[in-house]
Amino acid sequence: MSRWKYFLQRLVLTVPILLLAMSIVFLIVRAGPLDPARAIVGMGNPAGYHDVAVDLGIERAVRVDGEVRYVDVPLWQQYVDFMAGLLTLDLGQSWVIYPETSVYEVIALRAPRTLWLGFWSVLIALFVGIPLGFYAGLNPNTWGDYTASFGGIVWRAMPNFWLAVILVAVLSNSQQLFGFSWQQLVVPTNVVTAPNLGFLTDPGMFLSDPGRAFNQLLGATKQILPAAIVLGSSSMGNEMRIGRTAVLETINSNYVETARAKGVSARSIVWKHVFRNALIPLIPIITAEAFLLIGGSVIVEYIFAINGLGQLFFTAATKGDLPLVGSLAFIFILLTLSLNVLQDFLYTIIDPRVGYEEN
Amino acid sequence: MSQQPRRQRTASEPVLSVENLRTEFHTDKEVIRAIDDVSFDVHPGETVGIVGESGSGKSVTARSIMGLVDDPGRLLDGSSIRFRGEELVGKTEDEYRDVRGDGIAMVFQDPLSSLNPVYTVGNQIKEALKLHQGLTGKAATDRAAELLKAVSIPDARRRLTEYPHQFSGGMRQRAVIAMALACDPDLLICDEPTTALDVTIQAQILELLNDIQDAEDLAIVFITHDMGVIAQVADRVNVMYAGEFVEKAPVEELFANPRHPYTQSLLESIPGRGDADERLQSIEGDVPTPHGAATYCRFAPRCPKAFDECDAIHPAHVDVGEEDVEHTAACLLYPDDLPQEEALAIHQERQTEAERTGDGDAQLVDENTPPEEEQ
Repeated sequence: MSRWKYFLQRLVLTVPILLLAMSIVFLIVRAGPLDPARAIVGMGNPAGYHDVAVDLGIERAVRVDGEVRYVDVPLWQQYVDFMAGLLTLDLGQSWVIYPETSVYEVIALRAPRTLWLGFWSVLIALFVGIPLGFYAGLNPNTWGDYTASFGGIVWRAMPNFWLAVILVAVLSNSQQLFGFSWQQLVVPTNVVTAPNLGFLTDPGMFLSDPGRAFNQLLGATKQILPAAIVLGSSSMGNEMRIGRTAVLETINSNYVETARAKGVSARSIVWKHVFRNALIPLIPIITAEAFLLIGGSVIVEYIFAINGLGQLFFTAATKGDLPLVGSLAFIFILLTLSLNVLQDFLYTIIDPRVGYEEN
Repeated sequence: MSQQPRRQRTASEPVLSVENLRTEFHTDKEVIRAIDDVSFDVHPGETVGIVGESGSGKSVTARSIMGLVDDPGRLLDGSSIRFRGEELVGKTEDEYRDVRGDGIAMVFQDPLSSLNPVYTVGNQIKEALKLHQGLTGKAATDRAAELLKAVSIPDARRRLTEYPHQFSGGMRQRAVIAMALACDPDLLICDEPTTALDVTIQAQILELLNDIQDAEDLAIVFITHDMGVIAQVADRVNVMYAGEFVEKAPVEELFANPRHPYTQSLLESIPGRGDADERLQSIEGDVPTPHGAATYCRFAPRCPKAFDECDAIHPAHVDVGEEDVEHTAACLLYPDDLPQEEALAIHQERQTEAERTGDGDAQLVDENTPPEEEQ
C-alpha cells in the first residue's frame, strides 16, 4: 500500500469517527438529566415551555378534538434531526447566553480571541520547546542541557492557574517590581482584557490605515503574550523533554554512526540524519497539544479575561444552554479531526515507512 | 577450512599500522581499559581477522581506528594508528572526517539499523559519492546504480528510489557495502557484517567481499566472533581476549596448530569439529572487564592449563611458529622448547621492561583494582 493511499484511507476513516462522536454528543445533550427547554424558560412558566420545546424539536403540537396537545417527539427522530442539522452546518441558535442569536454569530465573536491565544501558545511551545529540547539532546550532560532540562521540568510542573495568577500579579505591579510599567510598554494596554482583534476581521485595514492596524496588531500580541506563555508552558516543557529524548535516541542510532563513518559533517548529520527522525515521535505530541491549546483553556481565559470559546463552552454547559453546547461540541470535534488528519499528513510526509505492510 | 589459496603477504608498506593501541573509558565509577596494547599491520589486498568473544574489545578496536570513540572514551598516549603512513591519533574531528570514508570505510554489524529509515537507499549512497568523489545529479545516480549492481542487487536503478524498509536484511547489508564502496576506500573495516544474517546470505556476503577485494586490491579488517567465518575470509588472524591480542597467526597455521589455550578452547567449541559423539565443549565464565594494564594473565581464571605464575606474570608475545611462519602467542607456556623457569624469566623480563618504559598511570589504577576483583 502506498503512503498516499494510506493517507486517503485515514481521511475516509474520519467520517465514521465524526458520526460516532456526534452521536455521543447527542446522547449527552438530549438523554441527560437536563431538560433544555426548562433551562431556557426557567421554572414556573408552563405556557412558554411548550413553545420553546416545539422550537427545540423536543415536542410536537397536535390538534386533538380542536384542542392543542403537546406530544414528545421520539428520540430517534430527534437524533435524525440533530444529525441532519449539524451535517448541513445548521448550528441553530443560542437560547440562554445570547438569546435569539445564531451560533455562527456567537462563534464569530468569540473564536478569533481563542484562536489568537491558541496560535501564540502553540508558537511558543513549538519555537521555544523544540529547539531547546534539540539543543539539550545534542549536548547531553552539559550545563546547557541541565539548565534546559531542569527548566523544562519546572515549567512543566507549574500549574496553569497558579502561573496565570502570579503573572497577572507581577505584571500589574511591574512599576514597583522592575521599575517599568508593563501597561505602558510599547503600546498602552491593560494586563487583563480581551485583545482587540479588529485587524483580523478587517484585513483591509492594513492597506487603508496601516499605522492603526499595526498598532492594533502590536497591542493584541502584547496582550495575548502573558496568557499564551501560561497556556503554552506545559506543552513547551513536554515538547522540550520529548524532543531531547528523541534526539538522544536518534543520535545514538546505528545509522548516525554509519553516516559518521562515511565522513558526513557534524552539521549535515544533525540537519539531515537526526532532525527528521527525531520529529517522528514529536508529531503526535504537537498535534495533541495544539488541540488542547486551541480548544480549551477555560481557566486561563477566565483569569486573563479573554472571553473566548473555552469560556463560552463552560458557561453554556453550566447555564444549560444545551443547543449551544451541542453546536460547540460539534465544532471541537471537527477541530480535533482536522488536527488528526494534519497529523497523518505530517507522518506521511516525514516517515516513508507509514502505510507499509509486509505481506 | 577454506579451500581457496591464501594471498601471500606483499612486501609493500602496510596500508594500516596500529601500534600500542590502548583505549580507555573513564566513567564516574571506574576506568575500563577496553583495548590494551594492541598492535597489527594490514597490507593492501589482504584480510586481517580479529576474532574473540563478545566484550573482548573487537568493536572498540574498529571504532578507535575510525576515530569514532566518543567521550568518555579516549586513546591513551603512546597509541599510534598510521594510515598510508599518516598518523591518525590526535587528529581533530574535522581532519578525521577527511580520512573516514575517503580512506577507511566501515560496514557495521546490524544492516537493519545502519541505514537511515527516512531516506532512500539511493540518497544515502549518493551522499557518500558527493562527499568523496564530488559526484552530483545524473552522474551520481549512474554511479550509485553501478555500485548496487556491483554488490549484486538486481534492478538497481529502481532499487535506488526505494527505502531501506523495502529491502531484505541481506540486501540492506549489500547496500551498506555499496555505500562503503562509494567512498572508494583503501581499507574496509567490517565489524561483524554477517552476524545478523542467516547462513546462506552470510555466505553470499562473504563471497561478495572477497570479489570486491580482488577487484579493488582492498585491505580488509574483518571482525567477528565466528571462527567458521574467520576460516573463510581471513589471511591472518588476531585472537582477542579482554582487550589484548593473545595469539597472532596466518589462518591455516592457527587452525592447524593453535598454541594459546584460549584459541584451543575457541576451536574446541565450534560445533562439529570434535568427535561426533562427544559433548560440545564450552569455555566456562565470561570475559573479564579490564580496568588497567595487566600484571597477570587475563585468561588464567578460565584457563584449563593455568598454574600459579599465571596470576603473577603478564605474558608477552613469543614466537611459537615454525621457522618462516609468523605465529606468536602470549602465554606463559611458551617458548615450550625452554625449561619452564627460563620461559617465565623471559616473560618477567619483558614485563619489567614494559613497565619501565612508561604506562605509569596504569600501575596507579592497578593499585586500586587488585586482580581478585576482576573476575
